[in-house]
Amino acid sequence: MIKKTDQKVGAVLVVGAGVGGMQASLDLAEAGYNVYLVEKGPSIGGVMAQLDKTFPTNDCAMCTLAPRMVDCGGHLNIEKLTYSEVESIEGEAGNFRIRVRKKPRFINEDKCTGCGTCTTNCPVLNIAHFEDVDELGKVQLKEEDRQIFQQILSQHDINRESIIAVLQDINNRYRYLPDDILRHVAAALNVPLSLVYSLATFYNAFSLVPRGKYVIRVCMGTACHVQGGHQILQGLERMLNVPVGGTTEDMNFSLEEVRCLGCCGLAPVITINEDLYGSVTQAKLPKILKRYREEEVSVGIASEGVSDAKD
Amino acid sequence: MMPDEVIQKEANKAYRAHLLICAGTGCVSNRAFKVRDALVEEIQKRGLSDEVQVIATGCQGFCAQGPIMIFQPDGIFYQMLTEENISHLVEEHLVKGRPVPKLMYIPSVDEPPIPKLEDIDFFNKQRLLVLRNRGLLDPEKIDEYIARDGYQALAKALTTMTPEQIIDEVKSSGLRGRGGAGFPTGQKWAIARKSPGDEKYIICNADEGDPGAFMDRSIIESDPHSVLEGMTIGAFAIGAAHGYIYIREEYPLAMKRLHIAIDQARDYGLLGEDILGTGFNFDVSVHRGAGAFVCGEETSLIGSLEGRTPEPRIRPPFPAQSGVWEKPTNINNVETWANVPVIINRGSAWYTSLGTETSKGTKVFSVVGKVNNTGLVEVPMGTTLREIVYDIGGGIPGGKRFKAVQTGGPSGGCIPESKIDLPIDFERLTEAGSIMGSGGLIVMDEETCMVDVARYFLDFLRGESCGKCTTCREGIAAMHDIVADICNGEGKIEDIELLKDLSEAVRDASLCALGGTAPNPVLSTLQYFRDEYDAHINEKKCPAGVCRALISFRIDPEKCNGCFLCNKQCPEKVIHGKPKEPQIIDQEGCIKCGVCRESCKFGAVIVE
Ligand SMILES: Cc1cc2nc3c(=O)[nH]c(=O)nc-3n(C[C@H](O)[C@H](O)[C@H](O)COP(=O)(O)O)c2cc1C
Ligand code: FES
Repeated sequence: MIKKTDQKVGAVLVVGAGVGGMQASLDLAEAGYNVYLVEKGPSIGGVMAQLDKTFPTNDCAMCTLAPRMVDCGGHLNIEKLTYSEVESIEGEAGNFRIRVRKKPRFINEDKCTGCGTCTTNCPVLNIAHFEDVDELGKVQLKEEDRQIFQQILSQHDINRESIIAVLQDINNRYRYLPDDILRHVAAALNVPLSLVYSLATFYNAFSLVPRGKYVIRVCMGTACHVQGGHQILQGLERMLNVPVGGTTEDMNFSLEEVRCLGCCGLAPVITINEDLYGSVTQAKLPKILKRYREEEVSVGIASEGVSDAKD
Repeated sequence: MMPDEVIQKEANKAYRAHLLICAGTGCVSNRAFKVRDALVEEIQKRGLSDEVQVIATGCQGFCAQGPIMIFQPDGIFYQMLTEENISHLVEEHLVKGRPVPKLMYIPSVDEPPIPKLEDIDFFNKQRLLVLRNRGLLDPEKIDEYIARDGYQALAKALTTMTPEQIIDEVKSSGLRGRGGAGFPTGQKWAIARKSPGDEKYIICNADEGDPGAFMDRSIIESDPHSVLEGMTIGAFAIGAAHGYIYIREEYPLAMKRLHIAIDQARDYGLLGEDILGTGFNFDVSVHRGAGAFVCGEETSLIGSLEGRTPEPRIRPPFPAQSGVWEKPTNINNVETWANVPVIINRGSAWYTSLGTETSKGTKVFSVVGKVNNTGLVEVPMGTTLREIVYDIGGGIPGGKRFKAVQTGGPSGGCIPESKIDLPIDFERLTEAGSIMGSGGLIVMDEETCMVDVARYFLDFLRGESCGKCTTCREGIAAMHDIVADICNGEGKIEDIELLKDLSEAVRDASLCALGGTAPNPVLSTLQYFRDEYDAHINEKKCPAGVCRALISFRIDPEKCNGCFLCNKQCPEKVIHGKPKEPQIIDQEGCIKCGVCRESCKFGAVIVE
C-alpha cells in the first residue's frame, strides 16, 4: 500500500508525449505532482495520432487518444514542453537537474491560437503527390504492349474482382509485372495504384523485376525439406551463382522458392517453367540445367522425366 | 460434336481389357503421357484397338511408384512403367496373356511380386469414400462419372429433399470440416441458411497451402465432378445461387480438369439455370490464387476473391453472416464438399458407422517423407498412425529408425514414436499437441533434426505472415532467429524459456490462426524432443546430422574403395586421394553440401 499523504514533494519529468506518456502524466498530475511533459515533436499525441485503428481489436485510435490529449492540454499540473529535447540529466533519484533544449518555433506561442491561416497563406508548399486515376492511363505503352494488355483485359470482366486474374495473365505473359502496365491496370479497373502495388507485392507469384527465360522453382515444402530440398536449393545457388530470388546475368535462369507443389510423393521436387522434376539430387542438377542452357528443351524429352502437363 | 450413332457405337463397344493409366501430376511428371502414347501406338500396331481401351485416369495415390497402370478386368497392378518396356508388356500380357512380374509391385527385396491391386497392402487397407472413383474413370468425361452413380445424390437432394432435410442429414452424419479446424459442416450450413438476405454464396477452398498435403489437388484431378456435385447440393441447402472455387495457381492440371468438368456439367444441365428441371439455379466460377499461404484462411480468401489485399480480418462477423460482398457465405474445403454426395446417397446412418465417437467418416492423408510407399491414402477416422506408417506406408526406407510424424502443416506438431499407436481423429491429435490440419503426414526418421524442423516451419511462417499483426510478424521472426541460432550452435540455455514466452505472446495476440497456431511446431518439438535442443545448445552437436554448422563429413577408410565418384562430384574439389584408395575430405575447404554423401554407393561418407 502506498502511504497516503497530502504532502506531495518535487516534480516529475515525463519524456515523450505519446499515449503512454500522456497517461502517465495525467495519473501523476492527478496524484498531485507537478509534471513536465517533454515531447520532441511539435505536438503531443505521438504515433497513435497517425493511426486509424489499433490492434487487435480494431478500435478507433483517435477515440482512445483524443480525451487524453485534451486532458493533458488543460491540466494545471502539467507543463508541456513541446518541440523540445532533453539534453542532459544529472543527479540522483529525488534530486535531478535536467537541461531541456526548446527548439524555436519562430512564432509567439502565447499569442498563437492555432487558427491555421498562416499555413494556408505560406507561399512555399510541400505537395503530397497523389496520382489521379485519369493520369495513370496516360503513360504511353509500346504498341505491342498495348495490344497484349488490351487482349488480356478483353478476357476478363472489368471490375475489381478480376484484378488478380489480370495480374496473373500479365505475369504469365511477361514473367513479371512491368511498371507501366500496372498503371494501366489501375486505370482500366478504376482502382488506386496503391492497391495494385499492394497486391503485386503480396503474392509470391508476382515479381516487379524482370525474370529469366526459365524460372526454376525449388520446392520448400515439408516433405521436400526432410528429403533435402534445401540442399538442392543451395546447390542451384552455387551452380547458377545467384542467390534465391535472383536472375542470372544472361537472363536465362531465375531461382525461386515455392511452398509445396503438391507432388510431395516425389520429393525433393523442382520445376523449370512448366516442367516438373521429382527425386532430384545435387548430382542430377548439372544435367538438368544443361538441357535448358542448350535450348533443346522444346523437345521436352529427358531421361529423368520432363513433365508434359501441357498436353 | 460427334454424330449420334458414333456415340452410340462408342457406348456399345465392349472391350476385352481396360488399361487404366494414372495421369495425376506425380505420374505425369514421370512421363505418364509418353507411356500412354507409346501404349496406344503399340496397341494400334498390333490391331488391338477394338479390343483394348486405354484410359488416362486421375491420381491413383501410389505416387512413389509412378507411372502406374491397372489392367482390368484382371486387376493387375503395374508400376514404374517406361516407354521402353511397353512393347514387351503388350506382347506378353495382351497378346500372350501372361502378366509381367518384372513390372509388378515388390514389397521388399526378398519377397515375390504381388500381381493384384487388391492384395497390395497399400491399397487394401484403405477405405475409399472421397476417393471412391480414383483410378476408375477418366476425369475429363462426365459420362463416366454419371455411370458410376454420379449426380445421383444431386437428383435425390433436389427432387426428394427439402433444404432443411439436407442440412439435417449432413448434421446427423457428423461430417466435420476437412480444411483444418474440424467445424461441424451441417451446423455451418444451418447458420448460413438462417442468415438474413436473399443473395448468398458458397466457396470451395482449394488453396491447399499446407506443405506436404496434396489431397485437394488429387481429388480435383481425379474426380472433379464429386466436388461440383457436393457444392451444388450445398448451394441448394443454403440457398446460394453462386459458388466460387479458389484454387492454387501451382496446380495447373487440376485447374484444367476443373474447367472441363464445369463446362460439361453446364452442357448437361447440372450447373447453370434450372438444374435438372427443378427451377434451381446455381453456377460456379473459378479463381486462381497467386501463392500466398494466408489466402487459405477464410476471411483472407474472401478478401482475395474481392480483389482486396488478402489480410485476415477480425471475426465475428463470421463469413456465414457476412462474407463475399458482405453477403452470407459458406466456405468449405474440397474434401468436405466431396463427402457430401456420399452422405446424401448412402445416408447419414451408414456414414456414422465409420470413424470414432467424435470424428465420423474417413480422412484422406498424404503420407510422405521418409516412408517407403509415399502417396495418398484414405482411411476411416480412428486408424492408428502405426497402421498408416507401417502397414500402408510400408515402413521407413533403408532400415532407419522411425522418429516422428508431422501432422497439420505449419499449424501442427510432431508426434513422437511413443505415440505411434494414437488413433487419429480431431481430438486425439489435438491432445497430442498437434492438429489434423488438411491431412499431410510427413514421416521423419532418425536423420531428421527436430530443431531444424522447428526452424523450417518458423521460416515458412515468417515468410507467409501477412504482416497485419505485430506479434505474428515480429514474434515469429524473433522466434525464428532464436531457433536458427540454436541450429548454428549459438544457442543459450535461456533461449528455451524465451521461446516459450514468445510462443504464448504470439499465440494469444494474433488475429488469425496463422499466428495463433504458429508456435505449435516449436512447442511440440520442445515437448517431445527436448534432448535434441539440449544437444544443440550444450554439446553443440546435431544428433541427426543435419544442421550444417554443427556437423562435418568424413570418409570411412574401411568402406571407401576409391571409386572416385565423390572426388569428381565435389564442387569445391576438397576431396583428395588416389583412385582405388580411400579418399580424404579436407575439412578446411568443405562447404558441407553433402554431394559426396549423396553420391557414395557404399555408405562410406559419415556425418558427425
Ligand atoms: C493460415 C490458414 C491457412 C489455411 N489454409 C487452408 C487451406 O489451404 N485449405 C483449406 O481448406 N482450409 C484452410 N484453412 C482453413 C479455412 O480457414 C477454413 O477453416 C476452411 O476452409 C473451412 O472449411 P471446412 O469447414 O470444410 O474445413 C486455413 C486456415 C488458416 C488460419
Ligand atoms: S513438399 Fe515439395 S511438393 Fe509437396
